[in-house]
Amino acid sequence: MNAAEELKQSFPESVTGVGLQTNKPLAVVKKEDLLMIAGKVKEMGFDNLSVVTGIDYVDHFEVIYNFFSYNNKQNLALKVILERENPAVDSLFSLYKVADWLERETYDLVGIRFSGHPNLVRILLPDGWEGHPLRKDYDMNKEQWVTIGEDGEDIVSTDGSGILRRK
Amino acid sequence: MDPVTIDTTKIKTEKKEPETALEKLEDTGLISTLLAARERKGLVLLTTIDQVFNWARLSSLWPVTSGLACCAIEMMAVAMAHHDIARFGMEIFRASPRQADLMFVAGTVTKRMAPRVKLLYEMMAEPKWVISVGSCANTGGPYHESYCVLKGVDNIIPVDVYIPGCPPRPEAWLYGVIQLREKIKNEGYGAKWGLNK
Repeated sequence: MNAAEELKQSFPESVTGVGLQTNKPLAVVKKEDLLMIAGKVKEMGFDNLSVVTGIDYVDHFEVIYNFFSYNNKQNLALKVILERENPAVDSLFSLYKVADWLERETYDLVGIRFSGHPNLVRILLPDGWEGHPLRKDYDMNKEQWVTIGEDGEDIVSTDGSGILRRK
Repeated sequence: MDPVTIDTTKIKTEKKEPETALEKLEDTGLISTLLAARERKGLVLLTTIDQVFNWARLSSLWPVTSGLACCAIEMMAVAMAHHDIARFGMEIFRASPRQADLMFVAGTVTKRMAPRVKLLYEMMAEPKWVISVGSCANTGGPYHESYCVLKGVDNIIPVDVYIPGCPPRPEAWLYGVIQLREKIKNEGYGAKWGLNK
């Protein structure tokens, strides 16, 4: 019995499905119970949260958490399914410190809000960037440019003034 | 004793305009300089100022140490002993743009890096040249459809030589350097008058 099936046995209400994802055990979790399940996962010895992934499936979003146990050399993935409008899920920052940056990246590129995150701001793109680029409905026709302000901060503009050469 | 008076109106200060080719040559002072040098048994090198300056500039191009992506790895290979960019007097990669006169834009220029690259270029002292290396810096390359990559570094700074490749091999890199040397050799007023050949 792998780790996902153990979770299914312990919490039949919260875990809606188990399976394999690239030969690693996967558990689909209700989004209300994610924090509780993640606490249980940490108790089971999964001490490393390696990746947080956000996926846009046009009609819904998915967030996949990949855990790893250094002692048991085991993998486990948790998946939550979020609605299209205003996707939000509990932050795992209280359990895993690394969730700080991973969730900021997921917020930056996919636009999923993590409630309870201490500092949910963009991490890769500058503040003021419009849209979340890895969403399917991101407007690719609108070019955005970055310039440096007086204090070294990034300023986003759409006309490219101050950066493009005059031709 | 009577004071000596000089009637300045009687002094002719007329200067004859040189007409023939020989007179024009004498007017430049070149012949008297040459003769004076021969009297002192000195050696004389005849050239144009442009030619000397261009030769000095192309013989010691100092690139600025800046790499943006994987093409910078290739830049290190060019600088190492096997391909040895020191043959062109370029082995000193300056850590400060103020001491450099050549910039390799080696790698992907993202939108967020673009103002920094432009700033680096503006900090370099004249005369300065830019070589754009690799598909990404030339046109955007594999990231042309991306939301965050500049579609060619020539959108923000002027580029002298483009080196294609992903990444270009060191031989291609050296060929691009030779092209830039040819370009520098033919710069200046002398080139316009046909004197630099």
